[in-house]
Amino acid sequence: MPDRSAPPAGAADQYKPVSVLAGAPPWLEMRGITKVYPDGTRALENVDLVVAKGEIHGLLGENGAGKSTLMKILSGILPLTSGRILLGGREVSLRSTHDALAHGIGMVHQHFSLVPTFNALDNIILGRGALLASPARAAARARIRRLMEETGLHVPLDIPVEQLPVGTQQRIEILKTLDRNVDLLILDEPTAALTPQETDQLFTVLRGLAARGTTIILITHKLREVLALTSAVTVLRHGRVVGSRLTEGATAQDLARMMVGTERMPDVKARREHQKSEPVLRVAGLTVKGDGGQDVVKNVSFEINAGEIFAIAGVTGNGQSELIEALAGLRPIARGRVYLLGQPINGKSPRELYRMGIAHVPEDRHRLGMVAQFSVLENSILGVHHEPRFRRGVPGTIHWGKVRRYARDIVRRFQVVTPSLSTPMRSLSGGNQQKLVVGRELSKSPSLVIAGQPTRGLDVAATAAIRDLLVDIRNEGKAVLLVSADLDEVLALADRIAVMYEGEIMAILQKDQFDRERIGLLMGGVRDGSAAG
Amino acid sequence: MLISSLILGALHAMVPLTITATGEILSERAGVVNIGLEGILLISAFAAVVGAEAGGPLAGLMVGLLTGALLGLIHGIIAVYFRGDQTVSGVGLNILALGVVAIGIVDRWGAAGFHRVERAFRVPPLSTPLGPMSPMVIVTILLAALTWYLLQHTNLGLKIQACGENPAAADAAGVRVERVRLFGAVYAGALTGIAGAYLSIDWLATITENLPAGRGFIALATVVFSRLNPWLAVLGGLIFGFFDSLGLVASTSQALTRVIPYQFIQMMPYVVTLLVVAGVIGRFRAPAASGQPYRRE
Repeated sequence: MPDRSAPPAGAADQYKPVSVLAGAPPWLEMRGITKVYPDGTRALENVDLVVAKGEIHGLLGENGAGKSTLMKILSGILPLTSGRILLGGREVSLRSTHDALAHGIGMVHQHFSLVPTFNALDNIILGRGALLASPARAAARARIRRLMEETGLHVPLDIPVEQLPVGTQQRIEILKTLDRNVDLLILDEPTAALTPQETDQLFTVLRGLAARGTTIILITHKLREVLALTSAVTVLRHGRVVGSRLTEGATAQDLARMMVGTERMPDVKARREHQKSEPVLRVAGLTVKGDGGQDVVKNVSFEINAGEIFAIAGVTGNGQSELIEALAGLRPIARGRVYLLGQPINGKSPRELYRMGIAHVPEDRHRLGMVAQFSVLENSILGVHHEPRFRRGVPGTIHWGKVRRYARDIVRRFQVVTPSLSTPMRSLSGGNQQKLVVGRELSKSPSLVIAGQPTRGLDVAATAAIRDLLVDIRNEGKAVLLVSADLDEVLALADRIAVMYEGEIMAILQKDQFDRERIGLLMGGVRDGSAAG
Repeated sequence: MLISSLILGALHAMVPLTITATGEILSERAGVVNIGLEGILLISAFAAVVGAEAGGPLAGLMVGLLTGALLGLIHGIIAVYFRGDQTVSGVGLNILALGVVAIGIVDRWGAAGFHRVERAFRVPPLSTPLGPMSPMVIVTILLAALTWYLLQHTNLGLKIQACGENPAAADAAGVRVERVRLFGAVYAGALTGIAGAYLSIDWLATITENLPAGRGFIALATVVFSRLNPWLAVLGGLIFGFFDSLGLVASTSQALTRVIPYQFIQMMPYVVTLLVVAGVIGRFRAPAASGQPYRRE
């Protein structure tokens, strides 16, 4: 257990990298961890992770690589399907967060797990002390004050956390876990909402903790953080371990190559070459605010031409969602101008944008793309249901015969497999749901199609079908804005790629500049060998 | 005379509403909503008579409490572990109660629909300057105080509130969400059981097929009125109880029933409930995760 009463000064300097790879004895061993979700998704496949006492270990990988899943298993939130976990040579059973904390394992979550109506103090002391005793608020307050001094992470203790900005909530989350005096500290993207200064200070604190024996596992996709902080790093890809190596001597390039792999690009439909024409979409100095009020898209500019797939690559949560929401009229534009075929679209509603020629395949299709309880028939006219062509004379009425013909046409053209038009949407497979959503949007004959994560969660055949459709649209001379966290998809489909990192476009690459390693570096915030952010 | 009987009447009518509401407040704070309180009142009122006739009034109260706790446990298991629909489970309890008690009365005492509880088996009243008062009035205040203390001044209270607001956060902090929620459901059931026993072996001194006559639902209205604060549940119980007893007094006054049919006077507590709740609702923010099952991922 780390001794926090010792003066912290200088402790960080005493930190010497420790690693099993450098000969230290293993302390935490995760052996053959496999995780299969109830729906059959194989999130982890026979993963091994070995960490020494006092080691700072990085866990690196793209979205969906299984990093968070592995650590949720270690912190007792998710049950494992098979495999063993050993602490100090003894097998442990971690069936709840309660078990994990009892074994000294604590996790700082990426999505904050704070009670919104509680203040910071109550959030920190939640779950501790004898059941019927009064919460030890005075003692906790003194302890947390000291902890705040020591770590430089300052938060107001008496304001309900729902009224605090995201960055402050992140600091509370870190303080909460540090206050537990855990032996094994897991941090899931802890710096996502911190300023660079706070990040540096946090790293100093973490080095100090490690020097005093706390073992730390850092989940991140930021290469700079791995290089700056860790002794060793394990890279995951598609739920498997790509490899573990000492951080010393590794370069950002090495790590990026491990993270994104070197596979050959998959084949997609042939693309027709055509003349460059005038831009369909022009975005100039666009800034968009996130749910917490901070800028999440920062002064972004780009153009998309007719007959082109313009892809935005990047790790999820770097502003892509907010960018497409702003372009689809679902989120206000804070600053900057956006033009569709020369017409400004600032402040237009989704319906006006659709009339101007923007179709939107939303990222979150279950929430924004369809009404699960409605039938295929009803879903096929969502958004165009008010148009005169579906009316029975008077506005406000619907001629179901006309709708039926329209829906049957979508189902046939886009090969949606459904028992009938009256089948509820929720009974369809994910792939067929998405084909209907894509089909409905394309039937609006748009000039720009915005597609957010269009193949996420789909099986191989459905993925191929959706990708082919996107290439078809491009070949028809329409503009496509594709946002995808799947680098393979971006590389296979795009004519040009913009890489987003922390709300900024790091670079826009032409087809002949496509290079996995370079894109991997950009996604990790490294531009031309120098780290950003 | 009229004043003191009105005050005592209001206090006596408050007891079942406030005790039931107080239990439900803790349960809803933890995230379990039970609309089957009416059914629990009825079944435990019946069980309490059986218990009292076997072992005296104290045994009757205990049997009522345990019966209520058991029914709360069943609802809790359905809501927490099977993640069942809490509304359906609550409605089920209400329907179950109607059948069980109707048959139970016939089976036990041979007479259909009605059984009178003899004085020897009733909770003995305290004598006060206003007249005889049930000791359960004092128990009600003590239970409200206990619940308030548990919620506001203990570590358990913090856990309960966290489970109702954001069970995922509670889980991450090492709180065993299922156990806390099950405790809430059993607590609500146990308190409702005491209130049921009070109806049959104390206040109304009888057991009928529909003894609570909607008081379980008025208790739910009291919960809304209280904004999940036990002290306000005492106030709400008093307000609703006052109109309840006013209705009872007024409907027996010939001078009044000649002008207003007594059916309208007896409607008063329910109409007042509707009006008060309509005024309070909308300004009240319930715990964010109340009534929703908690599932990891």
